[in-house]
Amino acid sequence: MKKALKLALGIVTSIGGFFDAGNLATAAQAGANFGFQLLWVVLLGTVCLIFLTEMSGRLAACSGHTVADSIRARFGFKKCLFPAIAESIAHYLLLASEIGGVCIALQLLTGYSIRWWAIPVALFVWMILWKGTFSLIEDGVSILGLVALCFVVAAIALRPDHRALLAGFVPSLPDSHPANYWFIAVSILGATISPFLFYFYSSGAVEEKWDKSDLRVNKGIAVLGMGFGSVVTIGVVITAAMVLGPYGIQADRYHEVALLLTKVFGFWGFPLFLGSVLIACLGASLEVTLGSSYMIAQALGWNWGENLKPKENARFALTYSAFVFLAALPVLIGIDPLKLTMFSMAIITLVLPPAVLPFLVIMNDSQELGEHRNGWLSNSIVIFVTLLAFVLAIVAIPLQIAGG
Amino acid sequence: MNLVRDILDHLILDRRGTRMGRVDGLVLELRDGEPPRVLGIESGSAVLARRISGRLERWVEKRWRRAGTESAICFRIPWSAVRKVSDDVEVDLEFEKTPAFRTEKWLRENVVSKLPGGK
Repeated sequence: MKKALKLALGIVTSIGGFFDAGNLATAAQAGANFGFQLLWVVLLGTVCLIFLTEMSGRLAACSGHTVADSIRARFGFKKCLFPAIAESIAHYLLLASEIGGVCIALQLLTGYSIRWWAIPVALFVWMILWKGTFSLIEDGVSILGLVALCFVVAAIALRPDHRALLAGFVPSLPDSHPANYWFIAVSILGATISPFLFYFYSSGAVEEKWDKSDLRVNKGIAVLGMGFGSVVTIGVVITAAMVLGPYGIQADRYHEVALLLTKVFGFWGFPLFLGSVLIACLGASLEVTLGSSYMIAQALGWNWGENLKPKENARFALTYSAFVFLAALPVLIGIDPLKLTMFSMAIITLVLPPAVLPFLVIMNDSQELGEHRNGWLSNSIVIFVTLLAFVLAIVAIPLQIAGG
Repeated sequence: MNLVRDILDHLILDRRGTRMGRVDGLVLELRDGEPPRVLGIESGSAVLARRISGRLERWVEKRWRRAGTESAICFRIPWSAVRKVSDDVEVDLEFEKTPAFRTEKWLRENVVSKLPGGK
């Protein structure tokens, strides 16, 4: 019974936690520019994410160690340093995008410019982290995040053509604008698979003292939670394809994206959209901040824990504090959050190999995991998607920059 | 036991299980005609800096020595204080009473407690 509750809660939080500024921006642009054609990338990213999530929970349950903890112990300080710095930069850009998402929603709601909102939003995020507990953050914010399911409702109400929809899940080449197509594909992969997720997930599992009896719950959360989570992203792609696509709106500005839900929900579409973005980006801000601070604290052996009071782990608490306030800077100086988001997602795919491949080595270590080490299927899928994302990023980012 | 695989970079836990840092360095004594002996483990920012380059280590030492924190940036634990090595390295010390606690303590008293809700 207790396990069933754990499973249900885990699935709900994963659905709520899956969706963020990155998913929204990349999915809306994918749908508006290429219809259903990029759905296969969402599917590919989700499958890879399911395996990575399951792996990080399994590592925590079997060894009692988090991902960052094991990587430092296994590879040593010097080899960890460069990947850790690169990932921290990517996480920083990601957090700045999430804060930008919250600010945009507030701007559309109140009319006051995003630059006014940067500091209050950072302060609010900081206060929740400073005063809140892990379960408040995971459960509270993520359950509220279920409001994003309105995108799924909208997608169903729009009655997409089933055949065209299914065809989108089969990889295909674009008829025009190949540079843009591949850049959006890269960004979707970056929005789906971010390294902070496995630092966050494994730390949560260690804080909740998972053991081998939780392995089935872990598998269920990974498959169902992340699977259903991606349904929201697919909902955005479909909605954008059917609402924005026909008018040639490219969704490269947030106020264009904000019209997504008005066709289905009328007046309520606008507040629903703002509510989803606000909660999703707020939740993601908390998770990104914690995930990347966990990584730093664990790699250096500091005491860490979101359930401890700030004074009980001063270095950890001050790390996340600094991270949150620094991440408000790009919005404060007026950088466009949507452009920042697309750019950050592409950068994340570049740091995927240094983040994921050492993790894979540990997951294949029989000393660490014994009989619970990885099988060939999870290894091949994770390696395939990570390298594909990386190669595509190397090709697509310069093309996108060259093409403006 | 394999020093680099089983001890270096592993977590150091104190008597009560508090995380007090990582094994950033190992100290060995070379003896004439006898096998080398492990004197202890080291932890701290200067030890980490040494693993990047000697120059960085000297810079860290110069930068922080003024504050009188030599033992905090390079804290040595004698091998006799190591109680158990089981993935984590458990030592017979109390984190709060060691120099490794100095940075944490300083931040706690001078920054965190001055912020709202930090007490």
